[in-house]
Amino acid sequence: MSHVTIRRRGRARELRRAAPFVLPFLVLFVVVYLIPAGYSIAQSFFAVKRSGLGLGGAETVFAGLDNYTRVFGDGEFLGSLGRVAFIGVIQVPVMLGIALILALLIDSSVATGRKFFRVAYFLPYGLPGVIAALVWSFLYAPTLSPITRLFASMGIHVSFVTDGALPFSIANILTWAWTGYNTILIFSALQAIPEETMEAAALDGCSGWKAALLIKVPLIRPALLLTLVFSIIGTAQLYNEPVTMKAVAPNLASTYTPIMAALRSLSANDFNYAAAQSVVLGAVICVLSVLVFRASARSVDS
Amino acid sequence: MVKRTARLIAAAVAAGVALAGCGSGDAGTQASGPVDVTFWGWAAGYDKSVALWNESHPDIHVKYEALPSGGQTGYDKMLTAAKAGTAPCLAQVGYETFSTFLAAGVLQDVSQYVKPQRSEFPDWVWNNVGVNGAAYGVPVDTAPMAMFYRADLFKSANIAIPKTWDEFATAAAAVKAANPQARIMNLPTDPYLYSGFAWQHGASWFGVKGDSWTVSIDSAANAEVGQYWQGLFTQGLVTSYPAFDAALYSAWSKGEVWSEVGPVWSASLIRDNAGDSAGKWSVAPMPRWGTTDAVGNSGGSSTAVMKGCKYPKQATEFALWMSTNDQSVSNLIASAAILPASKSGLANAALDKPESYYGGQAIYQLFRDEAPKVNPNWQWGPVMSATAASLGDGLGKVPTKGGTYQDALSGAQKSTLSALQAQGFSVSK
Repeated sequence: MSHVTIRRRGRARELRRAAPFVLPFLVLFVVVYLIPAGYSIAQSFFAVKRSGLGLGGAETVFAGLDNYTRVFGDGEFLGSLGRVAFIGVIQVPVMLGIALILALLIDSSVATGRKFFRVAYFLPYGLPGVIAALVWSFLYAPTLSPITRLFASMGIHVSFVTDGALPFSIANILTWAWTGYNTILIFSALQAIPEETMEAAALDGCSGWKAALLIKVPLIRPALLLTLVFSIIGTAQLYNEPVTMKAVAPNLASTYTPIMAALRSLSANDFNYAAAQSVVLGAVICVLSVLVFRASARSVDS
Repeated sequence: MVKRTARLIAAAVAAGVALAGCGSGDAGTQASGPVDVTFWGWAAGYDKSVALWNESHPDIHVKYEALPSGGQTGYDKMLTAAKAGTAPCLAQVGYETFSTFLAAGVLQDVSQYVKPQRSEFPDWVWNNVGVNGAAYGVPVDTAPMAMFYRADLFKSANIAIPKTWDEFATAAAAVKAANPQARIMNLPTDPYLYSGFAWQHGASWFGVKGDSWTVSIDSAANAEVGQYWQGLFTQGLVTSYPAFDAALYSAWSKGEVWSEVGPVWSASLIRDNAGDSAGKWSVAPMPRWGTTDAVGNSGGSSTAVMKGCKYPKQATEFALWMSTNDQSVSNLIASAAILPASKSGLANAALDKPESYYGGQAIYQLFRDEAPKVNPNWQWGPVMSATAASLGDGLGKVPTKGGTYQDALSGAQKSTLSALQAQGFSVSK
């Protein structure tokens, strides 16, 4: 009995000590995350009803799952999910592959100018996403692009903004902007590997690329997983790049990505439907993230 | 512990209240002191007109907030603010978006306050800021269209300025023949710019039939306008740069695109973006469809009074003043290149000023003469952003041959109908 009391008191004291550290996060988390998310979910079950010309405004009524039925029958929205999935499947492995190689290179014992490369790789991430997309837009714009002109002078006609080329053009901007960021994340994980581990491996005759792949990579799994989940989330929320590129590629639909589609509903004053679209996108991202974490946990166990 | 938590919560709530307080612009009581009226807009020169008002009207203080992004993003912000109860008193709303705002129920009927000055504006302009004779705002400007052209190039190639669309097509071929690198115009693929061409031809997009909406974006008249531009594009007689793109501006400057049939605000668009060709441009009336003496309109905006505004009377008073006061209108003409909607504004001497960029032509005189010929029957729909986005998506595919004008029009018709139905508007066939 007394043992339990002591324990409870201990926990209470622990909580009290933790409160100042946890509260700021909790308050912000609730105010800027949970409440808006809850509000969106609630909104997604309502719809506006009007009569006649509807110019007198509208009343909001409970609509059950109507908005969700609409989402799953909305070809444009489903198409936008398909597009980001396509971009993600191509771009994420390429980007993380490059990031891993670059991180291993600057981590290797033979690397020189480590500081310089670390900053150089990270630099694109420092540029605001919209600015980067704007600069790339100019490089892609059919009539302004120096790249297109260079190819044209060799008699090769390329366009970066045809319907077929757009996913790759966007993937390229993403890779350019985010590879360095992921390189640094992976690199910091590599730095955390104890020196003794690598020494032991070297003594056992495992060094160079072999050590990198067989010892380092498995040890930094958590960091790789984190970059993978971040990248999947980032791709699903694609917005800046396609919106900026629309100025040079009018064939890029206004519902190109799920967030663009939801914003378009918002502009059309279709708030409740926009909420449903956002909730579906959020759910897809949530499920994907959980699946990735699960799958990796399973492969660690085996 | 409990006490401290309670205090923390109290502090957080207080902070929240304080933050919320920042958002609601027009707090205060009517009884004492000057009233505050907030005004959101983005057009150049609005700030200066507001400053002029505040100098001479100590009782009604207008607080102008410029929305830097303007246009669609600005409207999104206004609608969201209205939803959150933090909308301003007055908002700059384009005619094309006015019905959408009405349908959203975010505007306030101010018919009684505008009544004494109703006759100071043409009737058709009032139709853009309300339905069935009611007014929810005050018109500021209109945007009749005309043909901006490189007088030097047309003259040296000895090509007559086209007066009809048939002549325009002939001239288009002549321009290409005179200089294989040059084209007469850029294809209008921006949905709102394109709407002006439909407007001119009486190819309405929306109508009101009893108590329901009609949608006719895919009508025969619209197909006619669409096919005209599709034809010029298929024959390679026009360029197809994205609207408002640097490539188009450079083509204007370099004499690779010889003309632009566009609204009055194209005057500043061309002037500010094609500086190298200063003095070489002129303005002629918009080419006509056969013998029908009608002009299109693309743009124009109003000062709308939003729901929740505590001082609608004072807000309307300012809005009327901004659109009619001589000093204010002169300022708006000079800084935003607008064509005033009010009759007194149209008489403003600033419109007679010769424009050096246009070779000394007093171009606003031409727009003043064309304004009464704007087709008065155009009606905007209540889900314009959906309509425009869908039409824009469709027209955006024309240059890459992913679709035609006809496809774009049918697509916009379809998605407009489904947007109307989804939002509970009644639609009649």
